[in-house]
Amino acid sequence: MLDTAPAVRKAPGRKSSGRARPRRRPRLGPYLLIAPTVLVIAVLMFWPMIQIGIMSFQKVGNRQLRGEPAESVGTENFDKILNDPFFWQTLRHTVLFAVVAVSLTLVVGTLVGLLLHRLGKRMSGFVAGGVMVAWATPPVTAAIIFSWLFGTTGGLVNWCLDLLPDFLVGGGWSDYNWFATPLSTYTVLTVCVVWQACPFVAVSVLAGLKSVPGELYEAARVDGSGPWRTFWSLTYPMLKPIFLVLVVMSIIWDFKVFTQLFIMSGMANRDSFNLSLYGYSEAFGSLNPKLGMGSAIALVLTIILLIVTALYVRVMVRQGETK
Amino acid sequence: MKYIKIAATAAAIALAATACGGDKKDDAGGGGKDPAQLKVWMMGDGTPEQTKFLDGVETEFKQKHPSTDVQIKYVPWAQVATTFQKAAAGGQGPDVTELGNTDVQSHIEQGSLADISDEFKGWADGKTLNKTALGNDTADGKTYAVPWYGGVRGVWYRTDWFQELGIQQPKTWADLTAAAKKVQDSKKVPGIGIPSDQTNALLSFIWGNGGEVAVSDGSDGWKGQLDQPPAIEAVKYYAGLVSTEKVAPEKYIGKDELQGPQRDFALGKLGMYIDGSWALKEMTKVSKKNADKWAVFPIPGKTGGSAPVMAGGSDIAVWNDSKAKGAAFDYITVLNNAKNAKAWADYSGFSSMRSDVKFSDPKLEIFTSIAGNTKFPPISSGWGEFEQAKKVLPNAVKAIMQGKSAEEEMKKANEQANTLLNP
Repeated sequence: MLDTAPAVRKAPGRKSSGRARPRRRPRLGPYLLIAPTVLVIAVLMFWPMIQIGIMSFQKVGNRQLRGEPAESVGTENFDKILNDPFFWQTLRHTVLFAVVAVSLTLVVGTLVGLLLHRLGKRMSGFVAGGVMVAWATPPVTAAIIFSWLFGTTGGLVNWCLDLLPDFLVGGGWSDYNWFATPLSTYTVLTVCVVWQACPFVAVSVLAGLKSVPGELYEAARVDGSGPWRTFWSLTYPMLKPIFLVLVVMSIIWDFKVFTQLFIMSGMANRDSFNLSLYGYSEAFGSLNPKLGMGSAIALVLTIILLIVTALYVRVMVRQGETK
Repeated sequence: MKYIKIAATAAAIALAATACGGDKKDDAGGGGKDPAQLKVWMMGDGTPEQTKFLDGVETEFKQKHPSTDVQIKYVPWAQVATTFQKAAAGGQGPDVTELGNTDVQSHIEQGSLADISDEFKGWADGKTLNKTALGNDTADGKTYAVPWYGGVRGVWYRTDWFQELGIQQPKTWADLTAAAKKVQDSKKVPGIGIPSDQTNALLSFIWGNGGEVAVSDGSDGWKGQLDQPPAIEAVKYYAGLVSTEKVAPEKYIGKDELQGPQRDFALGKLGMYIDGSWALKEMTKVSKKNADKWAVFPIPGKTGGSAPVMAGGSDIAVWNDSKAKGAAFDYITVLNNAKNAKAWADYSGFSSMRSDVKFSDPKLEIFTSIAGNTKFPPISSGWGEFEQAKKVLPNAVKAIMQGKSAEEEMKKANEQANTLLNP
């Protein structure tokens, strides 16, 4: 992706024969090549997004699904959610969770990446295989495993905590209900999401580290730099572009977490809802779907993510410029 | 990027569901002689026994419609809402379908069920059906579904523990608390399982205290009664078993009876919990060890007597888009004739809604007497949103269990009832 810009610039330069540049013909090719992709994305993504945009200003229920024309309600859906303290609570949960989960993912992922870089060939392969299992686990599976681990009867975590001496962790763990309050629910959720996301960060960081010339580290060592200093003065600046991309992508992913929370705490714990779950419960929660309300919530989430994506694209373009 | 694509696919599916709504064919005619195929939707995961039972029904049905092929589809309860949404949108609906009885009014309001008043009048067996349950299937004097089976809940307990500790069957709320305390103190297990997400149990306590969720005064729609003293007192007692009496554990807060209590009771790690006759089948799957010591008593009212219980259960209806409404209704009459109703009750553990079909298993006899005192939650199409999407009562109960003021939470719940039950 980074090489495309220079390549395009070179081609017309060679062909130009003094006359007006033949712009049309060579320009058509790239568009033709990209057309199938754009078409697929347009059908699968832009069209639904436009629909969601339209529906968020309408009242859409089952009667409308059956073919009755949807009635336009103006900005009523938005008025409703923006004036609902519950919406702001779910938004707060979403943002706070993203902040914590993204930072933890990056820290843990980077540490694992650094570890992988240091390990010998065989051990590194073993550890990499181990973390990739976490990456490959489908979110539904991971969520079920974690709700079992943190469950009450037969839950491994409560059993371990109960075995530990009371002065360390306190007593009464055997029946501790992890999914009763938002804070403990999100603790489990964070562990689960970070566990699944950090392998990607680790492998990306590892790939970056492999491209840093070994002499630089040697020079740092000769100058008496410790591991902390080496990381911040050498590794971090070298891998900065990678980190930027990772941060933005992690934010996008963690903003949209739905599956794990849906399975772990579900619809009966509204105090732990995030934006996605709130939207789902409005749109699909009962036999009386309120797709308009759900769309409005989804649109708010989409706009937030579009801002983040814009940032992401900017970073990508900047990187293209510097290289 | 992978996530974006998945999201896009999901959005596209959702879109497909919306976009296809336009091409609805008008098929008021229906009722042709022998349709080639009759699609029947059954709720739940389905079992080999259930399939065998339905095969028998099909054989009998074919005596009247020899060239019709009956196709059964099982819809897991968790996917019911989305499956019906897609059916409504895409026109790929069933001909005959089972419905949870609390969903019937929503379906009628959305126009997805066929008016079967005339067919119903001509069906002799229709007179044997439970009148209360039938009331839930009508709107504006028209019949849209028929009751099939029902289930009521009681308190499961351990006969050996009750005997050993000299506990009499609890007749009042105070008795129930005392029994739970006794079991908890001497058996070192929680006395009773009180999950916050079990509205059917909570309703029995509200009704057992003379309270209501909402009352309808005819033209004016539903008026919430949750902020009235009887309801508040009932919720206080129910949540108090966890928060003040401490005879029910906190680990079931935010859960329903299947996410813990049922399994724990079957494993001998819980003194009592509230569930229906069908639980017996599930619990023996968990552990058979104490199965012969499990028994049931009715949920007590506050000062004595049995509390009214919510009549859960299923109804059968003809889908409005069906092109073979006549054959579809014939299928219902076969499925719910005396012989098949009996076979179904014996297999499923649910009581038939026919007055001429009784439970034969002595262990389940108690449920027949409990079923003599049933009530329905408000018959409103808004109940689905009140109970499923917003889960108003479960969330209020959870907050009260965690120390919030019962008066305030119930006041908020009542405001929700006033709006949601009058859609």
